[in-house]
Amino acid sequence: MANSLVLCHLFMILYTPQNNKMHADDSLDYHVLVIGSGGAGVRAAIEASAYGDVILVSKTILGKGGCTPMAEGGYNAVLREQDSCGIHFEDTMKGGAYLNDTELVRILVAESPQRMDDLIRWGAVFDFTEANEVAQRPFGGQRFPRTCYAGDRTGHEIMTTLLERLESLSVDTLAETTVIDLLKEGDRVIGALAFDDSGEVVLIKADSTILATGGGTRVFDISTNSASGTGDGFASGYRAGAELIDMEMIQFHPTGAVYPTDARGRLVTEAVRGEGGILTNTLGERFMKQYDPERMELSTRDVVARAIATEILNGRGTENGGIYLDVTHLPRKQIETQLPVMLEQFLKFGVDIRKEPMEVGPTAHHVMGGLRISPWCQTTLLGLFACGEVAGGVHGANRLGGNALADTQVFGKRAGEAAGRSEKRIKKIDSKQIKIQEERFSRFYDGKVNPPIITKQLQKAMWDGAGIFRNATDLQATLAKVMQLSESNLRAISQRNLLECCTVQNMCLTASLICKSALLRPESRGAHVRTDVCLSHDAQHSPFSHTYVSRNRQGIERTAFV
Amino acid sequence: MKTLTVSVYRFDPIIDNSGRLESYSVEVNDGARILHVLHNIHDYIDPTLSYRYCCGSGQCGSCAVRVNGEPVLACMEEAQDNMVIEPLKLAVTKDLVVDLTENLGAIASLIPKAEFVMPTKEQIDRIKPLRSCIECLCCVSVCPAMDVTKFFGPIAMRQEMRLSLDPRDANDRVSEAVEEGLFTCTSCQACWKVCPKDIEIPGKAIEKLRALANRKGLTLPRHQEVAALIQSTGRSVTRSEPTFLEQVGDVIEPNGQVKGIVGFFVGCMYNMRLPKTAFDAIEVLRRNGIRVVIPKEQVCCGSPLIRTGQLAFLDSLKRRNIDAFVIRGIDTVMTMCAGCGSTLKNDYRTPFVLKDISEILTTYGIEPPARLPIKATYHDPCHLLRGQGIRDQPRSLVKMVVDLVEMPSICCGSGGGVRSGNPDEAAALGNRRGEEIKKTGADIVISSCPFCEFHISEHTDRPVKNITTVLLEGYKEKDKVS
Repeated sequence: MANSLVLCHLFMILYTPQNNKMHADDSLDYHVLVIGSGGAGVRAAIEASAYGDVILVSKTILGKGGCTPMAEGGYNAVLREQDSCGIHFEDTMKGGAYLNDTELVRILVAESPQRMDDLIRWGAVFDFTEANEVAQRPFGGQRFPRTCYAGDRTGHEIMTTLLERLESLSVDTLAETTVIDLLKEGDRVIGALAFDDSGEVVLIKADSTILATGGGTRVFDISTNSASGTGDGFASGYRAGAELIDMEMIQFHPTGAVYPTDARGRLVTEAVRGEGGILTNTLGERFMKQYDPERMELSTRDVVARAIATEILNGRGTENGGIYLDVTHLPRKQIETQLPVMLEQFLKFGVDIRKEPMEVGPTAHHVMGGLRISPWCQTTLLGLFACGEVAGGVHGANRLGGNALADTQVFGKRAGEAAGRSEKRIKKIDSKQIKIQEERFSRFYDGKVNPPIITKQLQKAMWDGAGIFRNATDLQATLAKVMQLSESNLRAISQRNLLECCTVQNMCLTASLICKSALLRPESRGAHVRTDVCLSHDAQHSPFSHTYVSRNRQGIERTAFV
Repeated sequence: MKTLTVSVYRFDPIIDNSGRLESYSVEVNDGARILHVLHNIHDYIDPTLSYRYCCGSGQCGSCAVRVNGEPVLACMEEAQDNMVIEPLKLAVTKDLVVDLTENLGAIASLIPKAEFVMPTKEQIDRIKPLRSCIECLCCVSVCPAMDVTKFFGPIAMRQEMRLSLDPRDANDRVSEAVEEGLFTCTSCQACWKVCPKDIEIPGKAIEKLRALANRKGLTLPRHQEVAALIQSTGRSVTRSEPTFLEQVGDVIEPNGQVKGIVGFFVGCMYNMRLPKTAFDAIEVLRRNGIRVVIPKEQVCCGSPLIRTGQLAFLDSLKRRNIDAFVIRGIDTVMTMCAGCGSTLKNDYRTPFVLKDISEILTTYGIEPPARLPIKATYHDPCHLLRGQGIRDQPRSLVKMVVDLVEMPSICCGSGGGVRSGNPDEAAALGNRRGEEIKKTGADIVISSCPFCEFHISEHTDRPVKNITTVLLEGYKEKDKVS
């Protein structure tokens, strides 16, 4: 049985704001520490548990954070004879504007079917065909309908299945406990420092640490991400010295809700288009025929998002700042059974999608970049592994819909296995690191600015200056604003509010990495569009490969095409 | 933008002895959800406010709270002026945050069989309606049985049923469910009605598990006795006096002009235990122009069998009842027992329309009775309020004759076979009703279900009367005066 640890009493002793002291000796010690309870984290914990003691730390209630439970459309896997891993590979590379790490893509397409098989064995309830096979639907940028689904709650189905599996294994779990920073011994990551839900500090030592913290598009004003998408893993990885690649590659999902104001950005799944939904502007034109006449609504996300943004910029958008996504021509039954979550959500907001079109616009969705990993999810730091959205390289410059869920399972398993196989060792926490954190916390108690004020300014600046269309001038101005915000004298009114201060700092750091990387790439490619740069090459023959940033160096890699 | 005034429950275990409601005035965008009101308080007024949230789109189930007493997802429901926001009815950790560990821990996990069996599409399609649970615990917050007895709750039953449908699962989920309190559910349906994903736990999980338990011989002995009685007599109770059907005519003509014609499905309780109440109803209908046709061959509706999972001879009852009305060419059948009404509306496929007596009386309109100088409270029968969605009609009738004092709509404990099968639990829930009734200061309790009326009367010192009885008293008073 997975055990949820109750730590209050133990850690009241470890750290109290009154004496402001933590003791490096009083820590938990595990073979593998997994940070994050989304699809990648739980999959990693399941795998790692075969090799030793594992602890899974989650910032939210287990399985409720992250984007996996919100993922609606599907999971790409080659399951039919007419399809092949070669085609899935080509589709993914082409969709990713050939920036993807080819080895990682090969692994993704080859192992995705096996990981689907794991899920089915563990009880997943995917939709089936009349022939009792896992059903598949078409998704953007793919030449074969290979997206497996459970209605439009596919990620939730995967999450439920993984949690049930985890429950039957001996993995310790710490829910509503947030990692603040990684702990190091020399060059090696040896665990993490976290806050529990009341702001008490928890120290966890581990032979191997797996970052599975998901993405960070909450740094944009309009985003599909849950509240936990604040870039914590990018930030803590960077601070610990890891190298990140392609952080400029932010996927703007073409279709997010545009109203009511407070619910802007809420994901409207690609499955709506997969099921036959069409996009029109206020003139009634099916405008995708001007942008991608062949693939139309099922073009890749970067293309569709730019098309919609262009229509809106040119005055062909609705009053609410969107365009129309219409399924009213589809049979009611199809909408009700294949898109029940969409139907329910829009009904709550007063729109019956069986009778009237949805209004949608682009929304920040996924970070393609992330920590640089090897095929076994090893980051550039010893003792640190990364999987899922926090890792970079799998999706290149644009991710195909349905490849993220597959990514969580394929690389979650690999990270868990590799971390599990790592050597057991004796670890010693350097008290200097604890002291630095203590000083940081005391500054928050003496601070002046309420964190949400900074968050809102950051999100606005990033949306305006580092969004779908970019140029060097705006990016530099945005970076300057982000750096200024990251220096804010944040205030924690109570111990519980310390976490918010740390989170805002993570968001600022993540945003700065996005801006820096965007400035490093002098080309338009996939989701990254520089309006101030003229292209003289196509993506396949670009002279540029990954951008990279770490505390020691930053730059852009060159390819053989010069 | 608009300004809303809201009350929010605040409680910090470190400094407070008990919780309190705090009032806030917030400025929010049009269309703002409850969650955005909480964000506004946290961001601009009091950063110490604690509440859970995550996905913001109704898919993670983190943000469930009670708004004006009803559990909802804060991220999906629109914020209203003057709303009261409170935590779910679970142990409060701080402010709106509750402890979920015990209830989430009670949800079973699939244990794979040694040899893998691939499910079929048909099996998948049967599991799917039970699978969209987001574990928000709204259902647990409203479950009356969990309050008074050991019951793992609707969420756990949903999962046991889901697993029992899955060929990949190795365990005996039915026996597990029985251990976890399968027979403590009163079938009040509160869990279903608050479920943000509209999962029909009572009908699709609990009753189905009870039917599977029946096949394994796990039906409670007392429930088996009821089934045996129905099978031998066509009735779920024994007679204590001459029955209504024995005394009444085949067709009762109204006093004046015929405004409407209904067939009357009497139900076992009014027929055999409370015939006087049924005659009161007839009097009220006669006075208001309703011709009542009463087929004598009608039998038990089968509700006690369906609720307890004993379905072996259910279809023969259904057939007899449907034929009894069809043969007389009746388009509208009236029930006055909430349980029969709910069963005929939801578990039958009938060629005629079904109406509760309160629907009939409010549709045709009734002669105003004299007002009685008493204060009454109204108990919503679960099978009328949630089973049939009838809330306003009985209240409008009650208000014509007495002053109405409201109380929370909670199950009295008599349903779902609990009164016979788990009498201690039924009594505990009945006592809670008694306390609520006392709080209202009402002189009498009015209801519209024989099971509720019978059960509540054992747990309050106030008289418990059927709605038609009170209306008739109003008419008698009127006649006396004139």
